Amino acid sequence: MTDNNMHGADDGRKGFWSWLSVNPGYRAISGVLLKTERRRFWLLAALPILWALVGNLGPIIKMFDISFYEAYPLTAGREVGYTLEHWRAFFTTHVFYVPFFRTIMFSMMLTASTLILTYPVAYFLARHVRKNRQMLFLLIVLIPFWVGEIVRTYAIMILLGNKGLINMLLQYVGFIERPIPFMYTSFSLGVGIVYLTSLYMLLPLYSALEKIPHSMSEAAADLGAGPWARFRRVTLPLSKAGIASGCTLVFLISTGFYATPVMLGGPSSTLFSETIAGTFAVAADRWPQGAMFSSIMLITTLTIAAIFLKIMGRGGKGVL
Amino acid sequence: MTRHTRIIMSMIYWAFIIYLFVPLSVMVLMGFKDSKFIGFPIKGYTLEWYRIVFQDMEVLSIFGYSLAIALASTFLALVIGTWAAILLSQKKFFGKMVVFALICLPAVIPGIISAIALRIFSQTINLNPGMLAIILGHTVHSVPFVVLVGMARLSSQPMSHVEAAQDLGADTVITFFRVTLPYMVPALIGAGIFCMLTSFDDFVRSFFLGGYEPTLPVYIFAQLRTGMSPEINAISAVVLLITAVLGLTAERLMRRM
Repeated sequence: MTDNNMHGADDGRKGFWSWLSVNPGYRAISGVLLKTERRRFWLLAALPILWALVGNLGPIIKMFDISFYEAYPLTAGREVGYTLEHWRAFFTTHVFYVPFFRTIMFSMMLTASTLILTYPVAYFLARHVRKNRQMLFLLIVLIPFWVGEIVRTYAIMILLGNKGLINMLLQYVGFIERPIPFMYTSFSLGVGIVYLTSLYMLLPLYSALEKIPHSMSEAAADLGAGPWARFRRVTLPLSKAGIASGCTLVFLISTGFYATPVMLGGPSSTLFSETIAGTFAVAADRWPQGAMFSSIMLITTLTIAAIFLKIMGRGGKGVL
Repeated sequence: MTRHTRIIMSMIYWAFIIYLFVPLSVMVLMGFKDSKFIGFPIKGYTLEWYRIVFQDMEVLSIFGYSLAIALASTFLALVIGTWAAILLSQKKFFGKMVVFALICLPAVIPGIISAIALRIFSQTINLNPGMLAIILGHTVHSVPFVVLVGMARLSSQPMSHVEAAQDLGADTVITFFRVTLPYMVPALIGAGIFCMLTSFDDFVRSFFLGGYEPTLPVYIFAQLRTGMSPEINAISAVVLLITAVLGLTAERLMRRM
């Protein structure tokens, strides 16, 4: 590949580049712009740094800023007034903080369930499946994960509906007489979110487990460790990095879904993303409040992720 | 490991594969069902829903709109992402880790928060909800991915390539276009396809940043608010097919390099 690229440039392009490199106009400009090491650096660095500040950091800072505004978008001629009212209202209003804490708890529980569900899968894949089959498996499981949130959520709706596959199978084997109303509950929402996020757990776990040499377990077995002890004292600590990054990813991603809770959840499982979206609805127009909700959500999720990574990092060093 | 745990684990392994594929398979199957009602039992099969979808001008124009957004945001993400990847592959400079963290920031921000922040931001810079705002949002989301793939590719580039070009008299810009960029191309094509997929399938940013014209996922979402219908299954099946083909192509390109 490399060699092709090095020598395979067609003559037309070669002509252009050699023409350009002796072109007086270009020489004049590049002579000024590329003269010193420092200029070359800034020519390279200016755009990415500007992008990071304006495109990535700008919206977040503006969001924090707006959360202290009295009103936004501003009507003509109105001055910006700052207030702490939205932040106060959050901590004192039941319909605001209940979905918030529910979302945090729910995402943590889902992260734990995803870990428990995918750990055996990753372990089996890394340890008991032949190498060439492992690649095939990873390729196949990637397909559902490339498909977007909406299509996959819809697939879960069809699966769990009253006339869905699960209810039909249960009725067919005579387990139940009437369909179980799975939909619009925490259960359907949980199934949907795990369906959307499990790959983000599976891949880090797999790459951590795959790196552990078999000789480690064998050595432990020679020293008299049983299967459970081998798992708990050798495999589990060595896969800690995978667990840490998988859990962080799944936690952060699962708090960010909006369409899935709307489509699969019910009134008793309202998540905070729905509360946030409600403040941006055309009729509501409570932007500062929505900005405040988003800010508190961002601070909380990133803090939890940081604490978790810290604990896992330290624990990992202690074990090794 | 004992025999029993091994058998249990292989069962969990297969159950996981079934869990991944059954919902999508049932969804595709329902798109061929000879009835307006989504659910079992299935009495007969038809291609009628596909015919309706492919003749529906509204769906086709929404498809084109989503595709245009995906192409534009992918192009921008590739330019900015490649640029940033080269910057971050330079030898140490002051604040390198901070720049890296800032550039990858969108990758760790939950979707809804990123969408809201961008909605507020586009309001403050007087960018009305619509195509440009969605393109901005998708570009922000895609850049970290291009940067990570680009950096991985650059880490395997021998320094001698760049040095040889410079010994032969090429300046920094010409070295980039003649040596570094061609070396990155296979990785960038793969990354570009993934950016297109994430943009095309994105819901939350398109929903909050969009104007009256919906992208395809937003359209499906709106249709589902009024109830399921086999046309949605047909659209979803087409999306699934395109996604799988593009994704596997990108994966192959990135593996081969």
